[in-house]
Order: sequence, then C-alpha cells, then structure tokens
Amino acid sequence: MTTARSEFTVAGHQEFDRRGPVRWILSHQRRNPWHVAGFLIGSIVMVVLNSAIPGLVGRAFDAVLGVEPDSSRVLTTIALVLLLIVVARSGLDFLARLCTEVLAKRIERDTRDELYVSLLGKSQTFHNRQRVGDLMARGANDVRQLGTMFSPGIDLLVDSLSQGIVPIIFIAFLEPRLLAAPLVFAVAFVWSIRRFMRQLSPVSARMREDFGTLNAGLNEAVRGIEVVKATGQEDQEGRNFTVNARRYRDSFVEQGLIQARYLPTLLLAVCTAGGLLQGLWLLDRGTITIGELVAYIGLLGLLGFPAFVSIFSFSLVQNGIASANRLLKVMREETELDHNEAGRSVAMRGAIRFDDVTFSYGGRPVLQDLSFTIEPGQTVAIVGETGSGKTTVTQLVNRIYDVDSGRITIDGTDVRGWNLDSLRSQISTIEQDIVLFSRPVAENIAFSLGQQADRDEIVRAAKDAQAHEFITALEDGYDTVIGERGVTLSGGQRQRLAIARALLTDPAILVLDDSTSAIDSATEDEIQRAIQRILTGRTTLLITHRLSQIRWADTVLLLQGGRLVDQGSHEELLARCALYRRIFAPYAREEVAG
Amino acid sequence: MGFIMDGLDAEEYDRTYGDRVLLRRIASYFRPKAAVMALVAGAIAAQSLMQAAFPVLISAGLDRVVDDRSTGLVAGLVAAVLVTGVLGWVFNFVQRWYSAIVVGDVVLSLRQDAFDAVLERDMSFYDEHPSGKVVSRVTSDTDDFATVVTLTLNLISQVLLVAVITVLLFSRDVGLALLVMAVVPVIVAMALGFRRIARDTTRRQQRSLAKVNATLQETMGGISVAKNFRQEQTIYDEFRPINAQNYRVTLKQGFVFGAIFPALFAVAGLATVVLVYVGGRRALAGEVSPGDWYLFLQSVAMFWFPLTSIASFWSQFQQGLSASERVFALIDANPLVIQHDPQPVGRLTGRIEFRDVTFGYTPEHKVLEHFDLTIAAGETVALVGHTGAGKSTLGRLVVRFYEFSGGRILVDGTDIRTVDLTSYRRQLGVVPQSPFLFSGTVADNIRYPRPDATDEQVRTAAEQVAGGDWLAALPDGLRTEVGEHGSALSMGQRQLVALARLLIQDPAVVILDEATASVDPLTEAQISEGLDVVLADRTSIVIAHRLSTIEHADRIIVLREGAIIEQGTHESLLRSGGAYCDVYNTYFRHQSPDYRPGTGFVSVDATG
Repeated sequence: MTTARSEFTVAGHQEFDRRGPVRWILSHQRRNPWHVAGFLIGSIVMVVLNSAIPGLVGRAFDAVLGVEPDSSRVLTTIALVLLLIVVARSGLDFLARLCTEVLAKRIERDTRDELYVSLLGKSQTFHNRQRVGDLMARGANDVRQLGTMFSPGIDLLVDSLSQGIVPIIFIAFLEPRLLAAPLVFAVAFVWSIRRFMRQLSPVSARMREDFGTLNAGLNEAVRGIEVVKATGQEDQEGRNFTVNARRYRDSFVEQGLIQARYLPTLLLAVCTAGGLLQGLWLLDRGTITIGELVAYIGLLGLLGFPAFVSIFSFSLVQNGIASANRLLKVMREETELDHNEAGRSVAMRGAIRFDDVTFSYGGRPVLQDLSFTIEPGQTVAIVGETGSGKTTVTQLVNRIYDVDSGRITIDGTDVRGWNLDSLRSQISTIEQDIVLFSRPVAENIAFSLGQQADRDEIVRAAKDAQAHEFITALEDGYDTVIGERGVTLSGGQRQRLAIARALLTDPAILVLDDSTSAIDSATEDEIQRAIQRILTGRTTLLITHRLSQIRWADTVLLLQGGRLVDQGSHEELLARCALYRRIFAPYAREEVAG
Repeated sequence: MGFIMDGLDAEEYDRTYGDRVLLRRIASYFRPKAAVMALVAGAIAAQSLMQAAFPVLISAGLDRVVDDRSTGLVAGLVAAVLVTGVLGWVFNFVQRWYSAIVVGDVVLSLRQDAFDAVLERDMSFYDEHPSGKVVSRVTSDTDDFATVVTLTLNLISQVLLVAVITVLLFSRDVGLALLVMAVVPVIVAMALGFRRIARDTTRRQQRSLAKVNATLQETMGGISVAKNFRQEQTIYDEFRPINAQNYRVTLKQGFVFGAIFPALFAVAGLATVVLVYVGGRRALAGEVSPGDWYLFLQSVAMFWFPLTSIASFWSQFQQGLSASERVFALIDANPLVIQHDPQPVGRLTGRIEFRDVTFGYTPEHKVLEHFDLTIAAGETVALVGHTGAGKSTLGRLVVRFYEFSGGRILVDGTDIRTVDLTSYRRQLGVVPQSPFLFSGTVADNIRYPRPDATDEQVRTAAEQVAGGDWLAALPDGLRTEVGEHGSALSMGQRQLVALARLLIQDPAVVILDEATASVDPLTEAQISEGLDVVLADRTSIVIAHRLSTIEHADRIIVLREGAIIEQGTHESLLRSGGAYCDVYNTYFRHQSPDYRPGTGFVSVDATG
C-alpha cells in the first residue's frame, strides 16, 4: 500500500494493510487462519463446556434427592458425561493456549521482519540523518508489546468476555426469569469498571511519574555523589529526596484506596443474594428443582472470573495498539531525494565549492552564507565548536541534506546535477562511531565492495591503513572473527579497520569524522600514520581535534556559529585571524602583530 | 500466570545476616504501626471467614430447604448470604486500604534511612558498588522489603482459609475429606514442579536467547552501514535466520508457561468429577447429606488459589529477605573516614602539608608510603606520572574521601582529621575528569554550591570563564537545559560549566583532574583560559594531561609508585633529561602543534 519508492525489496514478500493499526494487525494474523480458529473456537467452546458443568452438577443433585427415577444410573451417567466434558475442556484449553502462543510469537517475528525490510528500503538519506539502529531498537520493544497483546492480552480478553456472556445464556436456558440478577450484575459491572478505570488511570499515571521522579533524583544524587560531598550540599539533596519520597507515598496510598474500593465483588455478592432469593421463591413455587437452584448458584459463581481479569487484559491490548501505531509511523516515514538518473555520472576529480550556502534544521539556522573553495586532492581541516556546523558541511556535500539557499558544486557541476548514485559512490565517509560486524576481519574490510575483493586487495588496503601488523598478530590473522562472538578490538584498531574498508572503494572525496585524540603519544603516532596514508591522492574533509592535523593541513576552515570565520593555511590564519591565534598561540598574543 | 511464576529468578545471594536477625529488624520498622497491623490481620482473618461462609451457608441451607421452605428460613438464608458477602467486601476494603497506608509509611521511613545512609557512605563504598545497584537498593529493594510482611499476612490468610475449610470438611465426612486432601499434594506438587521446569527452561534458553538477542542487536545496529555500502541483501540474509531462531526459542518458552494453568485446571476438574461420583453415591446411600456433598464440591474450587499461592510463597519470601539484607547492608556499612572532635574552619589560605603519609585502597597494596610534600598557599602544582603512580590519590586524601593509615595531612596547620567536614569541604573545589551536572539549566548547575546566589552573580561567574563567549554557543545561554547527567552539552561545555561552578564556590584549594577526552580546539582554548582564571591565587593540585598546564604550572611533581621522583618547572625538568622527559615523550609529545607522527622526542639520559 505504500506509494513511496523502495530501494530494497524482497522477492515474493507479502504486503500488509498499513492503513491503520487494527487493520494492520488483522492483515498479519490473516496469515495464520488455523491458529486463529483454534484459539477462538478453543476458548469459546471451553467456556461453554465449563458452563455446562454447574447444570450437570444440578442434575446430579436432583438425582440424589430422588427427584429423578433410577438415581444411581443417572448419577453414573452424569459422572461419565462430566468426565468427558472435563477431558474435552482441558484439551481445548491446551489447544487455545498453544494457538495463542503461536499467534503472539508469529506476529513478533513477522512484524520485526517487516520493520527491518522497511528500514532497509529507505533511502540512504534517511539512514544518514538519524541513528537507525536506535529506531530499530525502539521498534524491537514495540514488537514485543505486540506479542504481549496477544498472549496474555487478547487471550484473557476473549476468555473474560465469554465467561461473562456464556453463563448468562445458560441461565436463560435454565429459567428465563432467573436472568434478572445476572443481567443487573452485568450492567452494574460495566458501569463500575468504567468508573474504576476513570478514577484509577490518572492516579496510576501519577504514581508512575512520581516513581520516575524519585528514581531520577536519586540516580543523580548517587552518580553525582562526589559533587554533593565536595560542595557540602548533603542537606539540599536530603530535602529534595524527602519531598519526592513523600509525594510517591501519597500517590501510592491514593492508588491503594481506589483499588480497595473495587466494587464488582460487592456487586456480585449483592446480586448473588438477590438471585438466591428469587431462586428460593421459584423453588417454593415449584418452577425449578433444587438441582436447578444449585446449577443457578454455580453459574452465578462463574461470573466472578471476568471481574478480576478484564482491566489488565484491556490495558495490554491498548498498549499493543499504541505500539502498532508507532511501528506504522516509522514504516510510513519517507525521505526521498530526487535520484536524478540523468545527471552527471563521471569520475570525480574532487574540486568542491560552496557559494553562499545557507541551511537550517528544525527551525534552527545551522550554516549561514558559507563560501569557500577546495582544490582537488587537498586535505581540508574543518575546525569549530560543537554545533558550529562541521558535520553538516560534510553532509551537504553528498546530499544527505540539500541546501536552503546558495549552491554547492563538485567539479563545477551543482551536486543536485549529479546522478545521486554516482555522487555517493565516489564519496566515502568514516564516522565517529565505527560499526563493525561479528565476522572475520577480511569480511569486514571487504564489506564495502560486497565481498567482491580478493585477498591481495584486502591486504593492501589493510597495509595502507596501518592495520596489517595488528591483524597478522591476531590468532587467525585475517580470518579472526571479531565483535560479539569473537575478539574485541581497541578503538584505534577499529578505526583502522574502518579506514581500510573505505580505502577499498578508492573514493575521490573522503570525509573523516575523527573527533578523538589518543591519550598517549605512541598510539597517536600509529593513528596519525594511518590517516596520513589515506590523505594522499584524494580530497579529504577532515573533522578533527588534533592540533597537529590542523597545523599540517593544506587549508583550514574555521567555523563559529555556522559562519566561516576564515579559510587559509596555518601560517595565513595565524597572521590575520584573532580567533585562530586564540587556539594556537594563546600566550603569544603580544608577539604577533595585530 | 503471574503469581505462580513470581520470584523465579531470585538471585543466589550469600547472606551475612541470619534470617531471624533480619526478621527482627524488619519487625522494628513495623512496630510503630502495630495497632494498624493488628487491624489488618484481623480484617484478613475475618475476610477469610466470610469467604468460607458462603458455601457453608448454602450447604446448610440446601439441607434445610429440601423440607422447609418457610419465609423465615428463606429470609434468614438470603440475609446471611447478603451480610457475609457485604462484610467480606468491607473487610477486604479495610485490609487493602490500611495495608496500603502501612506499607507506604514503612517504605517511606526505610527509604529515608537508606538515603541518609547513601549520603554518609564513604567514597570507597561507591568504588565497590555500581551506582545503579545502590539506587535500586533505595527504590526497589525497599519495595520488596515491604512485600515480606504483606506476603506473610497473605500467607496467613490463605493458610487460615485452607485450615477452616479442612476442619469443616473433616467434620462432615472423613472419607470424602480424605479424598479432597488427596488433591492437595497433587496441586502443590504440580505448581512446584512447573516452577522447576520453568526455571530450568528459562535458564537453558537464557544463553541461547542472549546470543540471539545480541546478534539481533548487531544486525539492527549495522543497518545504516549496510545501506551506505549498498549491502542490504547481505545483511538481510543475516537477519532472517536469527529472527527465525528467536521465534523458535521464545515459542518453546511460551509453550511451557502457557501449559501451566490448563494443567492445574484439568486436575481441579478431575477432582470435581471424582467428588461428584463418589460423593453422590454416598449421598444416595444416606451417609452424607446433599448439603455436605455440595460443600465438598465447592471446596475444590476454594483450595485452588490458596494452594498455588502458597507454593510460590517460599522463594518470594526469600527474595524479600535478600532485598532487606541489601538495604540493611547499605545502612549499616561502617564509615572508614572518621573525624575526631570536628571543629569548623574559617577561611583557609590553602597551605597543604603531607607529613609521612601512608595509604592504600586495600590493606595489602600501599599507594603511598611515608609520603612528604608541602604546597604553599596559592601555588599551582601539576602532578604527572604513569597510571597508578598515585596522582589522583593525593587529591582524594585532601578532600577526605578516603582514610589514610599513617602520618598526618595539615591544611593551614590544622590536622584535617579534626575539622568539620562540611565547612571544610566547602572551601575545596573539585573538578573531576568528567564533570557531573545535575538535570536543570546551566545556571542551576553553576549555582549549586551556593543555592542563594543571585542571577547576577551566576552570570558574572560564567563570564569570568574565557570571557563568557561560550554562552553564545549554547542554544539558550544560561537557561539551556543540560539534560540527564549533562548529556545535552558537549564534554568541553560541561567542563566550562564546572569551572564557572567552581568560581561561584570560591574555594581556597582547587583539585582538578584534567579531562583526557578530546575537545574541539576552540573549546579547548576556552578551557585553558578558564583555568587561568580559576587557578590564579588559589592553591591548586592539578593532575595534568594538557601540555599548556604543565608549561604554566608553578611546580611540576613527577610521581612514580607513590614517591616523588623529580620536581621543578617544565623547562628545568626538560633540561635535566630524567623521568620527566620519559613522561613527556609518552603523554605530552603529541600535543605540541609542531608534532608530526614519530617526532618531537626529548632526550632522556640513560641514567635518568
């Protein structure tokens, strides 16, 4: 039902109805018709059988009291029938439960798969704008809620609904006049449950909130205990805690009061008394037998079950639907840029030019009137505080975002005039948080070419990235499995693997977000050597904190507050830019001419 | 299926407090509420009786009603049923409401005791116990503590109910009663057996489930990288089998858990069938009255719930006791830092002396031995050395976070073991490597050491740090929300806030552990400028990681294994070619702007 184009589809994949959460869930479960039938039939028939028991017990009663002729045989027959009913009831009970489990776990499996495919099908733009891994993790939580919605949620809901209705039907067959009490109870029950929920939900919500506040405040005090002690502010913290703890206690007691006032049990008791009165009166008139009265009391007793269970199951179903909504929202989201199939598609040289570029995000201006030129093959260090727009500059080059005004050209052609695939395949990004997979080292490196690289190429890339030595020192060398199921690598080693991975594609423009620095000089030597090798022969945009890399870059872009303060080589900037001098020559201010 | 399966994964917890000791202490928290507890206990007992009354009334009524249908009897029966039902609800109401009050109050007082203890604990306690566990002791362990008592009360009521019914049954017909009793061990055994099976299944599945989840996590986290390299099919082919495996494992678990209630229900049903037949026969033979027969049939239904909750009682009880133990362990922990006759201190100038100090975090391994050091008031001292040399220790001892075993530490000539800690610590400014911020605004955090500081004073302090232009880089300036633990700010910005906070505190002594995490060059420059302001005219002990710090310190102290190897200024130490040069080559060489990989070494004398 989606009209957006997908970059990835699975052959023979099912389409589900995404118009609404309920329709979506139903369209999923429609794939399991046997289990749905098994569950519904099993549950309802089980309740029917269960409700037949009081009637049979009543008949046994009548037999014993001599109302029926040939009591002994009647009793034996009833016992046998009861046995059959109990066995059948148990069998159906098992069947219904097991079917529910299958339905619950299957919808988990299928929706997780659907979410995954949907995310994979989104554009690269979508993926680079946010942490999709987080989206998926949140989705995983929602998926689990869908499972719980079925087991125990809908399971209990169907059970309690049928337990509420079927006994009443049986009572109708027993003696219609006896319907008075249970019907009154049903109406009063529905009324009191609604009232109960209306009273309870805000108080429960407040209690959860109060607990959250208590927990958060406590968490802070404990994690920040050094600050608390070092500034001598124990009293302040103690007072805050008492306030929070008291507030929680008040909500807790309030909730307890509302729960204590739970009416349905009282209503059932009153209705049972009323029903008993009516039953005894009918008994006196001879309209019903004692056995039938016994049956009636038994059926009334069955009505007690729905009372406890329905609230819990209802909220599970509600949560499930809310989760379904969230999942659908993620799946429906689309960020599609024009692929420009007809655009430029040649080998890039790597000349970049920004002309009066302005860009805002979420209503906030990020870059303003940015203009600069980069020659092919230059190493450009981009320097600025957090939030000054460094990363955004790099994201505009490969069109993760498009500019609001101004233009960006590569090799003279506007980036929007390039064929999007051609543009992106020639620009490689190495992010701050390196993602590697639990696979052999060689496979991780060759991942960028889809394993279409032979061992020589892989080794060459590893050597260029200064990774070859530590890889060969591992137990299985290039076949060593790393990650969750294997060896753990240090941050610097992971970075070098990522560099090797990017090197394999031999990009014309490389973006290296290297916002770390080593603690000791020896590691710094290694990392910097690795980076040096990758800089030659291509244009590199280097987001870095390392002073030495800024010092030796071909040109430096100094950003502050989204604006370009200055551009030039280290010497040029030292001479003419006060902000730059603040960074590089703080104590030599008097020496450098104005 | 909740209550049967409660308390399944209670941790194996080696307990140091005996059960009886724990119970007595728990009781002491409830003693002030003794009257209300008695009321609750009474209400529980009364409710159980009312619950048992219904089938008894019906059974008695049935026997009479066969012959006698007089209005008086009918009215009496119905009235009795009504009254017991209503009273049952009333007693339940009383019990639940007052339980909530008692539990609420007890948990509150226990939480307050626990939090007071949290504030009093030494820093060494926090080294051993991760903060998350400590927090859960105050919030969830205190909850579990209360459940010990409510569990016990519930147990009593269930046992009471079962006992009353059993007595009733035996008083009517011993044969049938024995038949019913035969069901009891079956149900209990089944409940316990299922718990065992569930626990074993869970344990076995846990490892495979954990592996599946971890791999699932990884394929989920790698989705963007796969996208960037256009490897969607590859990663999808990894995902599918994992997803299928997850399905199989969780389904198996679901089957086990889902089978419990049907099984128990089946047993109850079979017991009913047997009772109908055998009881009916005996009623026919006149050995048992129909009303009694009815009572027996009802009793199975009434046993079912209490028996299953009795089955889960023991491990839930143990879980509650373990939780109580953890809370009491927190409250009872012995303080190691003890002040002798604490006196308040006036304004300090900041002269610090270590005289023959010996200290170790553990008794076996000493970090400092017979350590001597004098720092003049207003002097800035930079500590350098390899990891474990004792750099952080000096600062921590001055702040009295740890107790040392030998020697003395004097500040302005006063032994710090004899000072009032709160007034003493207010004059010490501590900035750790990763400064902690409380949720709230930047201004709230700056103001923390002096809650009564005015907005003007906060702004002045902020502007004294690097000229205040760092405020312009924040989305809302001083009113910017810093997020949980300061996560909305960058590491560099957090440091600037910590420096402004220090200025408001206006301490005499500053103890600073420079951050090693990387900060962008502009913020780095601002931090340097901020430090210049903060450290001026204050005695400062700085654990140096920045080149500019050691270049501008009054004195550098090189530590190795708790001893001072060299002292001097940056230039003098470089010239002497000793241990300092080795430290420089290892940690500071790459910070020079002229650095290129593999260069910048200063010469170290072979003898140094």
